[in-house]
Amino acid sequence: MPGRIIEWIDQRFPLTSFVKHDLTGYPTPRNISYWWNFGFLAGIVLVMQVATGIFLAMHYKADIAMSFDSIQHIMRDVNYGWLLRYMHAVGASAFFFVIFVHMARTLYYGSYRAPRELMWWTGQGLLLLLMATAFMGYLLPWGQMSFWGATVITNLFRATPFFGDQVVIWLRGDYTVGDATLTRFFSLHYLMPFVIFGAVFIHLIALHTVKSSNPSGINLADKDNIPFHPYFTAKDLYGLGIFLIVYSVFVFFIPDSLIEPANNIPANPMQTPNHIVPEWYFLPFYAILRSVPNMVGGVLAMGLSVMIFAFMPYLDRSRIPGGARYRPIYKLQFYLFIVDMFVLGWVGYVPPTSQTIVIGQIATLCYFASFFFVPFISKMEEGWLLKKGLPAEVTALIEKETQDKEERKLKRLRG
Amino acid sequence: MKTLIKILLLCSISLGAWANEEAALDKVILETDVKSVERGADAMIGACHACHSMKYVHYRDLLTYGMDKQKVDGWRGDQPLDSAVMAQMSESDAAASFGKAPPDLSLMVKAREGGANYLYSYLLGYYMTKEGVPGNHYYPETKMPDVLNVSSIAEGASHSEVQAQARDIVSFLAWVADPHEQERLRLGYYVMAYLLVLTVMLYFVKKQVWSNLK
Amino acid sequence: MSNAGSEAMGGELGDGNRRNFLIKVTSVVGGAGVAAACVPFVASMNPSTDVLAKAETEVDLTGIPAGGVRTVAWQGKPVFIVHRTPEQIQSVSTTANTLDPEPDEKRVQRPEWLVVLGVCTHMGCVPNKEGLGWTCHCHGSQYDDSGRITRGPAPKNLEVPPYYFAADNKIIIGKTA
Repeated sequence: MPGRIIEWIDQRFPLTSFVKHDLTGYPTPRNISYWWNFGFLAGIVLVMQVATGIFLAMHYKADIAMSFDSIQHIMRDVNYGWLLRYMHAVGASAFFFVIFVHMARTLYYGSYRAPRELMWWTGQGLLLLLMATAFMGYLLPWGQMSFWGATVITNLFRATPFFGDQVVIWLRGDYTVGDATLTRFFSLHYLMPFVIFGAVFIHLIALHTVKSSNPSGINLADKDNIPFHPYFTAKDLYGLGIFLIVYSVFVFFIPDSLIEPANNIPANPMQTPNHIVPEWYFLPFYAILRSVPNMVGGVLAMGLSVMIFAFMPYLDRSRIPGGARYRPIYKLQFYLFIVDMFVLGWVGYVPPTSQTIVIGQIATLCYFASFFFVPFISKMEEGWLLKKGLPAEVTALIEKETQDKEERKLKRLRG
Repeated sequence: MKTLIKILLLCSISLGAWANEEAALDKVILETDVKSVERGADAMIGACHACHSMKYVHYRDLLTYGMDKQKVDGWRGDQPLDSAVMAQMSESDAAASFGKAPPDLSLMVKAREGGANYLYSYLLGYYMTKEGVPGNHYYPETKMPDVLNVSSIAEGASHSEVQAQARDIVSFLAWVADPHEQERLRLGYYVMAYLLVLTVMLYFVKKQVWSNLK
Repeated sequence: MSNAGSEAMGGELGDGNRRNFLIKVTSVVGGAGVAAACVPFVASMNPSTDVLAKAETEVDLTGIPAGGVRTVAWQGKPVFIVHRTPEQIQSVSTTANTLDPEPDEKRVQRPEWLVVLGVCTHMGCVPNKEGLGWTCHCHGSQYDDSGRITRGPAPKNLEVPPYYFAADNKIIIGKTA
């Protein structure tokens, strides 16, 4: 009977062929490591955030007179409200953690390179959507940190040329962050995740066109692909188990570790807390913002620091395929970049002193230098590696790519 | 690569040493059983709630937690069970007497760096200044009087009674800030046990599925 | 490519049965977890503790004179409390003229106190006290001093909520003793 129903559907909708082609039978490189689990984990966290968010929204009140109280109502009176709230708060941090690892994997293994540039750029778009969603969500509890964080960041739009002040007022709906700001942030915070779902869909369509990369960075022969089910369904579920364990440690045992104490105080527009600190996932970018003494410069630097990732497919000029595996200098650059991100994160957290400001400025320079020098270093490294000698399949692939390029150029000139 | 990790670790350890330069806090071990929390509630409602409100706690919450019904009825007087524990002094009167409105205490344990340890240290941190008025080591600008009379304890006399009182009060405030803590921890143990079992099973499923690959 | 996959799932080969068993058990355990995870979400939609606190209303009966009616709110609905005079009690001693016969004794715990929900059993309007009993001005239904329907279109008598006498002059609406 179920077979007959599916047959009926298949005559009208590509159900079985879609499932076979894009889910169960989808060809996946057999050698992808656990670093490839993080895209799936990001999808799971998205679903969890939407689920907890929708149920929280049944009790939350987006009005400055009621929002802080409604959070307490959720924490104290709503059945399992405390669980929903903690899951949602921890989930936001979990989302960024998973995404940062996912991005790190892509950078390390060179998965942003041709033909996967669109995957990288849709991913970049997803990162921006996530940051916007998180920023707006953070205002909703209407605590001291919520209010002052939103005030500082909306103030940055003053850097817009000519219309700076009006842009800020337009964003806020008021001269200061107030009720108008809160209600519109709630509306957009509810909307964005569904835009994210759409962008994820596009991201996955791109993925299914070019297929996953793998740790060697070299395109595997067809025989080295295996069906997604059951191999990677099993592997993804196991990875999910590990993730949920870490996630649950936070939700059940240390949930308040991620909530700034000052956010347990209702927003007071007349008094700024001593120490305004964004959530940990914004710290490096916040540090870059503060490193530039000029306001417009700071905003530009911060914006560039997020957007600059997009240029990686064109900055990386090496013909050595893949990422760090066959490129020791690129590998070193990657690790130094990670260290730099941690340094920036720390600079963003601590109250600024003359020492930390200098450290932050050096770290910011290193951050941008990492990107600016990629074209030169990648080319130099390629020359050095070719002279040193590479594994046979790598050399073969480089030659094949060069040949392909020549052929395409000739075709263009002829036709 | 290994050297890089060593450097990172050294940096993070030294960070810890650099960070904390404020007065070291006295550590308090909180009581979480109903009786101790009830003693704290007694102290709070007897003394503190003259000035401080706890507007997110209702008298019915005290009952649900297991406090003695007669005690709760005594505390609430003729206010209905559903009402919040508001301060006896109005906010404007308190602001007039002390110069600043006494803050609501519902979330105070969560709203201060150091949490319960900070509140405990603060309550016991009063001392007699040269001018003959009490001051506080942890929050010098405080307008709150020395409610436990710590500053008038003679040199060398025992602090154990005020320490016990402070511990009861902070235990109650910790419950007020997080009434579902015990339930959360209990559920957490079950969830962790379940997830550990499930993840081990998923590991073996993965291993078996992949063992087919030639 | 797909061969490897089907072999992994097959139960017909060598230790395929053991494989299958592990996968079955893991799926059941996993499914149980997913089901359990749904519970907090569904439960969060139930009335919260502050709403449940309003599930009981305490009413002080002193101050309602004989013949007097007081309307109180219980769970957001009006409840009529009538301190009935002997004449009123007498008027409802038979079930004649009632469309939904029910002896008055069954509808009260103490004859001089009538406690009924002030919600017409037709379409839910609140009837008005008029002389002996109530009239609902939405569609003309009439009730007697026991809250029983005497003229339609309402089909049933006014509902008697659960209540009990905490003291002679105090009732708690919302539960029986």
